[in-house]
Amino acid sequence: MQTTALDPVTVEVVRNKLDGIANEMELTLLKSSCSPIVKEGLDASASLFTLQGETLAQAVAIPIHLATLIPCIARILAEFPLETMREGDLYCMNDPYLGGTHLPDIAVIMPVFARGRPLAFSATMTHHQDVGGMTPGSVPTHATEVFQEGIRLPPLKLREGDRFNETLLKILRRNVRIPETFEGDLMAQVAACSVGARRLAALAENYGDNHLTAIFADLLDRSETMTRDVLRALPNGTYRAVDFLDNDGVDLDRRIRIEVAVTIDDAGMTIDFAGSSPQVRGPFNAVPSGSLAAACYVVRAITDPTIPTNGGCFRPIALRLPEGSIVNPREPAPVNARTATIKRIAGTILKALANAAPGRVPADSGGELLVLAFGGERPDDTRYVTGELVAGGAGASASKDGVDVIETDATNCMNLPAEALELDAPIRVHRLALRPDSGGAGARRGGLGTVREYEILHGNVRFTHRGERHFIAPSGRAGGPDGAMARAVIHRAGGGEEVVPSKLVTTLHAGDRVVMETAGGGGYGDPAAREREKVRADLADGKISAEGAKAYDAAPIG
Amino acid sequence: MSGGLSIGVDIGGTFTDVVVRGPGAPERILKIPSTRADPSRAVLAALERMKTEWGLAPADVARFVHGTTVATNAVLERKGARVGLITTRGFRDVLEIGRQMRHQMYELALDPETPTFLAPGRFRREIDERIGPNGAVLVPLDEAGFARAAEELIAAGAQAIAIVFLFSFLNDAHEHRARELITARHPDVFVSLSCEVDPAFREYERTVVTTFDAYVKPVVDRYLENLAAGLTAAAVPAPLQIMQSRGGISGTATARLRPVRLFLSGPAAGVIGAQIAGDAAGARDLITVDIGGTSCDIALIEGGVPALRSEGRIDGYPVRVGMVDVNSIGAGGGSIAWLDAARGLRVGPQSAGAEPGPACYGLGGTEPTVTDASVLLGYLDPEHFAGGRMKLAPELGRGAIARAIAGPLGMSVEEAALGIHRILNAQIAEGIRLVSIRQGHDPRRFTLLPLGGAGALHACALAEELGIARILVPTNPGVLSAAGLLAAPVEHEVSAALPRAIGEVTMAEVRDALDRLDARCGALMAQENVARADVTRRYFADVCYSGQAYYLEVPFAPDAVDPFAALADAFYAAHDRTYGFAPAAPVRLVNLRAVHRAAAAVLPPQAWAPNGHAALRRHARILLPEHKAPVGAAVYDRAALKPDDTLAGPAIIEQDDTTTLVTPGWRGRVDRVGNLVLERNND
Repeated sequence: MQTTALDPVTVEVVRNKLDGIANEMELTLLKSSCSPIVKEGLDASASLFTLQGETLAQAVAIPIHLATLIPCIARILAEFPLETMREGDLYCMNDPYLGGTHLPDIAVIMPVFARGRPLAFSATMTHHQDVGGMTPGSVPTHATEVFQEGIRLPPLKLREGDRFNETLLKILRRNVRIPETFEGDLMAQVAACSVGARRLAALAENYGDNHLTAIFADLLDRSETMTRDVLRALPNGTYRAVDFLDNDGVDLDRRIRIEVAVTIDDAGMTIDFAGSSPQVRGPFNAVPSGSLAAACYVVRAITDPTIPTNGGCFRPIALRLPEGSIVNPREPAPVNARTATIKRIAGTILKALANAAPGRVPADSGGELLVLAFGGERPDDTRYVTGELVAGGAGASASKDGVDVIETDATNCMNLPAEALELDAPIRVHRLALRPDSGGAGARRGGLGTVREYEILHGNVRFTHRGERHFIAPSGRAGGPDGAMARAVIHRAGGGEEVVPSKLVTTLHAGDRVVMETAGGGGYGDPAAREREKVRADLADGKISAEGAKAYDAAPIG
Repeated sequence: MSGGLSIGVDIGGTFTDVVVRGPGAPERILKIPSTRADPSRAVLAALERMKTEWGLAPADVARFVHGTTVATNAVLERKGARVGLITTRGFRDVLEIGRQMRHQMYELALDPETPTFLAPGRFRREIDERIGPNGAVLVPLDEAGFARAAEELIAAGAQAIAIVFLFSFLNDAHEHRARELITARHPDVFVSLSCEVDPAFREYERTVVTTFDAYVKPVVDRYLENLAAGLTAAAVPAPLQIMQSRGGISGTATARLRPVRLFLSGPAAGVIGAQIAGDAAGARDLITVDIGGTSCDIALIEGGVPALRSEGRIDGYPVRVGMVDVNSIGAGGGSIAWLDAARGLRVGPQSAGAEPGPACYGLGGTEPTVTDASVLLGYLDPEHFAGGRMKLAPELGRGAIARAIAGPLGMSVEEAALGIHRILNAQIAEGIRLVSIRQGHDPRRFTLLPLGGAGALHACALAEELGIARILVPTNPGVLSAAGLLAAPVEHEVSAALPRAIGEVTMAEVRDALDRLDARCGALMAQENVARADVTRRYFADVCYSGQAYYLEVPFAPDAVDPFAALADAFYAAHDRTYGFAPAAPVRLVNLRAVHRAAAAVLPPQAWAPNGHAALRRHARILLPEHKAPVGAAVYDRAALKPDDTLAGPAIIEQDDTTTLVTPGWRGRVDRVGNLVLERNND
């Protein structure tokens, strides 16, 4: 153990460099990957870990990646003891039931050596475009077993010293639909790990490896101390909340319950999921890494943003995940669509903490990331597959109206421009608008959802709609009403309307129109307390209708 | 007009810098306080001083080039015009919805990411019209409906109207007709068309940049008109020319037509100034690092060409216009040092700014800053800060560091001050590394060119961190922007969408599109005071892989043997450089671009004229990292250093606009034109 005190300046210099290294790894990863999901969706992350498997620094563009490599490192260390690792070795895995997330997310992990001794790990996780399984893209909405979702990799050596595991690579190439892209993205992960290893080794040359190890420990301790200080300021107690997912896409009438009991005490923050639904048949099950990512996001969101993000922030977190439940399914339950579940878990933990920290937690956000996919043929018989991700409104907070149509909590994805969609596929976008009156009223109004209307212009189109918040509204807070639920309706060309039950896979024909409305955020505080000029402004700007304005009617609007 | 004077005027937040050049006379520099209410007043004041101090007559001014922050300030201060936005039916809210991504990842109470302030809902209308993705008219323009919408907006107070119709970059007829409908009745209302401002797909980005254009148009128009009138009144015969964000200059007609291209007018001039300073010293690959009070701007120049980007940000919002690629990080002389809850020493991103400024300014600042550390370490002379314009109170800075940092951490104030410097340097070095790597470059082969008041103070430390072996401190880093104005080419750039697969599009179609671009550029160039023979034409194409949305700009040579094959090869090379791989897959054209430029008459670099004083001012005791005790450093007067003078670190070189710190292990030499070149000792 370190006995002499560390120089605080060197500690801070090293911290800046560790962040810089993680950013450089992430840049390398994004730049040298091939697939659009990494390049444009930023669905990849890079981290440095201590030898004990705690996060030292992490570059993330999407919070869902936060901390998800932690269980992977633990598993790899369990299978390949540190003493057996050699310089240049690389390890990989993706099995959700051994510490992974869902099969497209492959972890590549590299031990970093200094003076011949292990110093740390550099690690990356990338969402690969395709890892086999029953549908292109490896996120089958109708999967009922993990085996349908792609190839499963237990912890394996990807490279031993300078020799790649050709057997593994050969098997992988035969099990994915676009092997060149797959291998390109995998090698981008290798490149990013190597950049991290090279720079960390250079750092060790400057500062000495023992000195660095002591600094790593100090940095983690500092973030832990600061996080615990903030948690300690919350009143001790157990805070409960329940929320629901619409369904699992298979059993359409069965809501999925997420229940949490968040205990704040001297140990930190313990989240017990007892009472949550049993695992489901459809792919919405979340393995433990998912709940961990949600919990880590919440801890970063409710504590001081200036606390450096590292494994120390996560030490106070303990999770109780009932076996066989939606948050800790048994093999071989399918897991690919767990994003919606992680978003709901994050929202439910926040909802519970609203009772611990009144005023700090906003009303519920729309809490959905609507996934749309269209697959069909163009007039020239070429095929297209396109899709988009659509957000709802943010919940209002004590001080601010919720933001309209914005990504919240665990996800952070861009929508698709109408012009990009129309240039690619014979689909016309008729409307891309704010959804008036969808934000919960309140002293602070919830953010609005969006309305999108599409018309199919040609042929038959395979259409996937994976929604949320169609049956359970986002709650208001502190007396504010709920936000509007999402809804979607198919208007058939030949007449007739079909209401989409949150999840749907169907066929659309030329002339059919689909109107999607995403959920609004909940309101905050008594609507009657909203300033009259704000109500008038919302009315003038079309955010509320004359009818919607009545919700604020304790005093009539002048 | 030859034989006349050339004047470059760069208006910054605090000072207006003026550089005057003329044949057979030394370069002259003026620094006068900016006049924020009406920036053109400072310009006219400068002309007055030129006359009284140097006897230079306004009538002899043959070139007048201006870099301005007027467009940027209108946005930052929310003082633009009241804008009405009219869109295709169904798309009125695109401006407010944006791309739905957030930048504050862990914030619970979010702030909007879109510039709704430009045109809130009550100032937006949608009307019937529709162009399809192949340019065909699907729904004709509802002229009566449009006119009604415009009337309503104007009656509600709109001074400018932005018109953004879907796919107008493929068929601009509806937008053009819409403008006619407005100007026929309201010739005084400013109109911005998306097909002219940014003819490219993705409706949100096009809407934002078009609406920004309308927002700043009346402000820029009024400003340039006042300034031009002022010049005329002062009997200046030269036409007013303005620096644009890409680093080229144009006449006021173009600047007033497309003001959204002025957002980086000032920084672009700085980058051009750095480029010519580098050229004069034979350094063509440069990383410029401009360290001011609150932020640090980083830019790359490769092979004498400043890196450009096709989309930048203003006040956090995306603006899709070409601009010099300047990257800002929140670290500067005013960055505040503080202790976090675990008593970790942190620096920035909070800054004391110019007011109250660092504690040692004595303006009421109580928190310790990087500048306070610089004074305590002996790098800055409190008696002669900023050329003696300001006297510092070092004891206030020392007190702040002692109270906030050294005391609580149980270290000496000297150790704390050194620590503050080391942390700031680590942050900036990581920032520079990321900027270079993002553009596919290894920083080690570049020369570091420090700018701003504090750049040269940190340059040696940054170079050490980055493995850079050479530093170039230009003669007047403080007025490099003004000098850059005089060196920039006159440039016009227009582009058009041509979203077609290569292999499908014919050379005749491309030729036709280029001819139209050339005609438009030519018309713009005809308004400038340049000879037709001096104009060079270059073409570029935005190209992407089929099925991918993000494109890269590559040069296009229509006269090559196989222009399309050459274009694909150029794209693969660019893709490989930017992303590290480049499969030989099919590619698509996205946009075509023509750039016409007339290079500025290159004035030979002026020989350096030392002031004749003794170069060595005094010896100072300074503190350096890895030295326990203070070390002696020679302090030189930059203005007195002569060509070929050499010096060795530790040394300090003082000049009015910056202070250079040469650390041990570095030696410096003054070149023929007065640049200070620092190189690392080889041992």
